[in-house]
Amino acid sequence: MAEHLNSSPRMKRFLAWLPLAALAIFILTPLLSSLIYSFFRADGSFTTSGLTGLADSGKIVAPLMRSLVVSVLAAVILVVTLVPAVVAVHLWAPRLRSVLSILCTLPLVVPAIAIVAGLSAVLRSLAAQGRGSLGMQLNTMLQSQDLPLVLVGTYVILCLPFTFRSIDAGLSTLPLRTLFESSSILGAGLGTTLRRVIIPNIRGPVMFSVFFTFALSIAEYTVAATLSINTLPVFLNTLSSTNFRGSITLSVLLNLTTWLLLAAATVSASRFGHRPSAVSEHDEPEADEPAVSQAAGAFRKDDETP
Amino acid sequence: MTTADNRPRPSRSGIEHTDEPEAVRFEHVNKSYGGTEVLNDFNIDIEAGSMVSFLGPSGCGKTTTLRILAGFEPVNGGDVLVGGESVLKLPPNSRDMGMVFQSYSLFPNLGVSDNIEYGLRIRKVDAGARRRRTEELLEICGLTGMGARFPHQLSGGQQQRVALARALATQPKVLLLDEPLSALDASVRSSLRDEIRRVQQALGTTTVFITHDQGEALAIADRVAVMNDGRIEQYSAPHEVYSSPATAFVARFVGSINEFAVGQDWTIRDRLPIEPAPDHTVFVRPENLSITSAADGFLEVKHSTYTGERTMVHLGLPGDHKARWAASLASVDADDLRPGMRIDASVTAEPALRLDRNDAEGVPA
Ligand SMILES: Nc1ncnc2c1ncn2[C@@H]1O[C@H](COP(=O)(O)OP(=O)(O)OP(=O)(O)O)[C@@H](O)[C@H]1O
Ligand SMILES: [Mg+2]
Repeated sequence: MAEHLNSSPRMKRFLAWLPLAALAIFILTPLLSSLIYSFFRADGSFTTSGLTGLADSGKIVAPLMRSLVVSVLAAVILVVTLVPAVVAVHLWAPRLRSVLSILCTLPLVVPAIAIVAGLSAVLRSLAAQGRGSLGMQLNTMLQSQDLPLVLVGTYVILCLPFTFRSIDAGLSTLPLRTLFESSSILGAGLGTTLRRVIIPNIRGPVMFSVFFTFALSIAEYTVAATLSINTLPVFLNTLSSTNFRGSITLSVLLNLTTWLLLAAATVSASRFGHRPSAVSEHDEPEADEPAVSQAAGAFRKDDETP
Repeated sequence: MTTADNRPRPSRSGIEHTDEPEAVRFEHVNKSYGGTEVLNDFNIDIEAGSMVSFLGPSGCGKTTTLRILAGFEPVNGGDVLVGGESVLKLPPNSRDMGMVFQSYSLFPNLGVSDNIEYGLRIRKVDAGARRRRTEELLEICGLTGMGARFPHQLSGGQQQRVALARALATQPKVLLLDEPLSALDASVRSSLRDEIRRVQQALGTTTVFITHDQGEALAIADRVAVMNDGRIEQYSAPHEVYSSPATAFVARFVGSINEFAVGQDWTIRDRLPIEPAPDHTVFVRPENLSITSAADGFLEVKHSTYTGERTMVHLGLPGDHKARWAASLASVDADDLRPGMRIDASVTAEPALRLDRNDAEGVPA
């Protein structure tokens, strides 16, 4: 393929790069303008007031920590629940695989705002049980500003469409049953096999899932704002009314962070994905690609923080 | 669980001996998948420390039997005993068996040494003992210097050796081999076969070796269990399976054989075939069929296949183009036989099997 391109005329090569360049301009223009705005005044002089303003107020610490904790938790919970679930379905209930696939795709077709509406209804009905009731306690615990579990759960679900597909594709290339059987006849239990044999062989998809979930969780706005939980993106929005330059700086930083994470996700998907196994070398990158590009698409939704 | 540490030290040959091989016994085992019965009242006794090969056509239940023994398949009835105790309630990871799968099934994320060490790690054997054991197995299995490679950097035969080494590392009570050589070419096949046998005899591990290659089964095992349709047709020493098959199926499945319809009173001193009333079928090995050229012979030479020292002469009825019988002659004796020549055949040794014609249904004589 590459050889074919190299040997063809320059024009063809140019045409091939054209869409990529267009996309780059489309994405980079707003980012660059924000970057310029963050560090240069209208008269063109350099300023770091945006950055220092952020650091000075100290108000950023709590939302930042909150977002970090939520994102880490979401990534961990996602991997710890999704991997065994998909493995179990592959091993023991291959017929449920399509059901699981549909379930995991649902969050993609349900708008985030609808998910929040549903969540709010549930939370309200819990609260409606009255002061001191179990429902009320649950409600408080889920929405606690210290550890907003409701966000963790929501983010895990929002990430399912992409991470499920990636892990599912990774597992499909493995001879799971014989790996499990040869491991268990050697004395290993389920957990050991998962840890020592299965997960190392789907390192790419697992790393992708971790980075992706982290990136989505740290940049998500709609759900957090609607539930009035002060995460980093929500803080950013409030900030824009008092320290506009600061808010733009923060958004640029946030944007770059998510991009880096996504790049890490993509790289790990293809790098660790290149497993030294005869069966999978060819299908794996392909299998991962859709998930990655979909992921990038989905991100734009959440990046539209003001 | 015993570790490699408190086992006996390596013997002079560099191979440790398993302290107590265990006998295996299937008692009236029934197994069906859905409505399909695969094993029906299956019984076998495998002596401790011996090697038994399961030989049979595709789909006869060999793998199923092995998987039941390993604990991967539940049974619908009967019992499976190892060392006199039922293992049916034990999960595979506490049965202390070694298994080599047809597809190798090495762990692709682990190097050769780590693959071999896997079972020892699980048994929490300390690093030094693990390394010693691995080195020893690499040597036994002809893999010296390959410990650091990954499975995808090995040839099929080498992967198969690693699979064998991995199965042997924990010194299992029983070693299960499911067509371990079927993916290899002929020369690697026979050398690895001899190696498996050598290692098995040195370690004295009770071993079940599945194959549908009769040569392999006869060459490697102490006893051969010929299976057909979920039953054992014959269970005896390799030479007995060949020279005195118990059933028509065994006679036809192992080696090539001639079938002649003969009368009740026929003996090997009589001509073939004898009139009238052919109510018996005799099974004669090609090397026990002697042919002489005779103008009034009842058979005709169809063609010959030269295989070096011996030549297989294919015979048929005059006027019928099909070759139904074969005689194996020393090549020098087959020189002057030409296709179309009339010949007379006689039997030089007691037939391998003689059956009432009704019991030998199937391929007509
Ligand atoms: N999981 C299963 N579900 C349904 N039927 C099965 C299953 N596994 C095996 N069978 C059937 O059981 C029978 C015996 O299968 P088995 O794998 O034991 O044969 P085998 O003797 O090992 O054959 P081969 O030499 O081809 O490996 C076959 O008819 C097969 O179709
Ligand atoms: Mg089989």
